[in-house]
Amino acid sequence: MSESINRRDFIKTSTAAVGITTIASGITLTTFAANKDPVKNNKRWGMLIDTKRLSGQEIDIMVNACKQEHGWGSEKHSVGDQKPSWIKKVKVKDRLTQKETSLPLMCQHCEHPPCVDVCPTNASMKRNDGIVLVDRHLCIGCRYCMMACPYDARSFVHEDLTNQKAHMPRGKGTVESCTLCVHKVDEGEQPACVASVNSEAIIFGDLKDSNSKISKTLRKIQSTQIRADLNLNTGVRYSGI
Amino acid sequence: MATIFAQYSNNLSGNSDATYRTTSFHESVSNIRKMHPEFLKHKRDETLRKGVRTEENSLKECINCHANTNENTGHYIGINDQGQFCSSCHKEVSVSVDCFSCHRTTPAEGH
Repeated sequence: MSESINRRDFIKTSTAAVGITTIASGITLTTFAANKDPVKNNKRWGMLIDTKRLSGQEIDIMVNACKQEHGWGSEKHSVGDQKPSWIKKVKVKDRLTQKETSLPLMCQHCEHPPCVDVCPTNASMKRNDGIVLVDRHLCIGCRYCMMACPYDARSFVHEDLTNQKAHMPRGKGTVESCTLCVHKVDEGEQPACVASVNSEAIIFGDLKDSNSKISKTLRKIQSTQIRADLNLNTGVRYSGI
Repeated sequence: MATIFAQYSNNLSGNSDATYRTTSFHESVSNIRKMHPEFLKHKRDETLRKGVRTEENSLKECINCHANTNENTGHYIGINDQGQFCSSCHKEVSVSVDCFSCHRTTPAEGH
């Protein structure tokens, strides 16, 4: 889906979205107005994870931050594979050199997501800014997307839930996965897992903005996509593996 | 139906903020009574699929205003509990509400 932006719309959006006030010399206050306009495809959110700077303990902290933010992980009746996991710690080992690396694995927010291709109801969808989501209003729980995902990033809710987070409705019979903390990103904040660890290890930002920290770093260092052979052009990139 | 709406207004009177906002927030109460399924359906697609996050017609805002608290404990009562804002009408007309198998039924923690 491509969307063209004309000059008038661009000016309207850029003036409405951000107001910058200078309070005193050197201090600026940036306020984000409520998002009245649909997200445009002039942005693509992505993440660069430096596995060399992330300890196993820090990956656990990321997983817990995700659990707390979205309220998953305390399901009483789900067992084994039924348990939801939006983000998990994965150990990879080079068979030849025996080098072991741990990395956090979640939805990779692909440019060409297989989960979207296979969804029979259009519930699995990609927003214009590249965030891949499940529209649970349309999800019928068929779990084709779970089978199609090469990263095993999606989970199915097997039991009735109550007391969900206000920003993250979840319910039995639907599929769920990492949302890249879309509710926070829309407010100009960083995803919960990124905020939970030191800022050097994970860079979150706009891949289409050539001046963003993530784009500058990606230009400089060696990075990789997991299963790059599938040509999905993932939004989550890794370095050090 | 008149009795249901009377009950519905009683639910509002417990929350002065809600009464204030009904008069200023909704263009017309009769319109929102009739049209709220369409409004909510339109808004859900705008928010989830396009990232439009405004208060108008947002289910979260319905709950923030219209949920009552228990007089004794001070805790919020689920908006779909018996006799509460959603169920008082929906039960009468036998229309099930699917929203709350996923959505939270009380305002967010610390609201």
